[in-house]
Amino acid sequence: MRVALAILWKDLVCEWRSRDRVAAMLLFSLLVVVVFHFALPMGTSRAAVTQNAPGLLWVAYIFASLLGLNRAFALELENDAFSGLALAPVTGGWLFLGKALANFTLISIVELATAFAFALVFDLDLKGVALELALIVALGTAGICGIGTLISAMAVRTRFSEVLLPVLLLPTLIPVLVGSVQGTAAVLAGDGVPFDAVQLLIVVDATYWIVSFLAFDYVLDE
Amino acid sequence: MAGFSRLGALERRVERTGTSLSWLLAALLVAYVWLVVGAPIDSVQGPIQKILYLHPPLAYGAYLGFIATGLGGVLYLWRGSEAFDRMAIAGAEVGLIFCTLMMVTGPIWAKGTWGTWWSWDPRLTVTLLLWFTYLAYLLLRSFAEPGARAARFAAVYGIVGVVLIPLNYYVIEIFEARSMHPDNLERGSLGDGMGMPFLVANLTFFVAFVYLLARRWEVENLAARAALRESEEGDRK
Repeated sequence: MRVALAILWKDLVCEWRSRDRVAAMLLFSLLVVVVFHFALPMGTSRAAVTQNAPGLLWVAYIFASLLGLNRAFALELENDAFSGLALAPVTGGWLFLGKALANFTLISIVELATAFAFALVFDLDLKGVALELALIVALGTAGICGIGTLISAMAVRTRFSEVLLPVLLLPTLIPVLVGSVQGTAAVLAGDGVPFDAVQLLIVVDATYWIVSFLAFDYVLDE
Repeated sequence: MAGFSRLGALERRVERTGTSLSWLLAALLVAYVWLVVGAPIDSVQGPIQKILYLHPPLAYGAYLGFIATGLGGVLYLWRGSEAFDRMAIAGAEVGLIFCTLMMVTGPIWAKGTWGTWWSWDPRLTVTLLLWFTYLAYLLLRSFAEPGARAARFAAVYGIVGVVLIPLNYYVIEIFEARSMHPDNLERGSLGDGMGMPFLVANLTFFVAFVYLLARRWEVENLAARAALRESEEGDRK
């Protein structure tokens, strides 16, 4: 467990020093929100916008996560630190845990800012449902980071990793997307915490984190 | 010659299936064509209903291919024998063919009966996802550094895929269950005279799948053997 925390701390400190990943993800997210505004045809009714907002929000989140996950192992790759990770005398799963938590933290920061931008651009009132929304977003992000960390560890060491990561990851994100969008829609409609969406996300997240924890050893090789 | 003994008994068993399976398949194909042509035409759907003898059998092949890929990956990670990795490749490629054909025959049937090319019911959606997962798997194999790394990454992704498909079925059932898909496995859901052709169709495509899987596996084994021979000759020089 200490290993996981050490990795988490290392990633967060590295990110704090350079701030390049968060900055890039943030800028990208904000641009995507603006693009969505223009993507909806002129004269789209407020009701139609509100109905589609959860889906658009999660598309923005997923695109930003793809960007962030792409760079998740970049440091290790550039400095040949993969050998260090592979040779470390610990179960790969703890390394995965640290990395996934770091990804979760960084992506959550970007998602928070994106939510503000979204509320501004699409004129949504998120104050009343902030906590419920935070719960759904946290669960969805946990799903994305759980499987995303495993897959990016593989994708980063192939040719065309920028293309391969989305291709490998997006099919696996469908369950997360379905649960998150349904949950977000229910929350925004004022129906309180949607238990079936939350249950679904918990099952999906647990499955992904467990599988990734167990499989991470096979992904670190030398 | 020492290299040959390293390829195990498993590969030799795969090679030996060649002749017997091809005769069986040929016989089944003859029976299949005869039965399908002779099968009664459905009073409601018309002749297009005969895709029933094509589409569900292809579906079983697609899912079997997926199981072969997942199983091959798990066995490879567990035992380390490359023969299992080669089975995974064979399973993925043959499964992809069956899946593609299923995705082609399905919409043709759907247009003829439901009046629409596509619907987002759970089975179609999960099959589409399976198709994408197959393609992603094969892309991963081709982009990763060939050898042990590609095999290992592919095995891990295969395991993720095996988890993903039932998970997605469960998710889509719960949230988007608008099923238009007929369920043919219940007793009495098929008309009179359709049971035997359907059974033979399933048997034929199952044997075809196994035959194609074994042949594709054999091709990979031969390629590995050739590579081994080349490297041994290179060492001797």
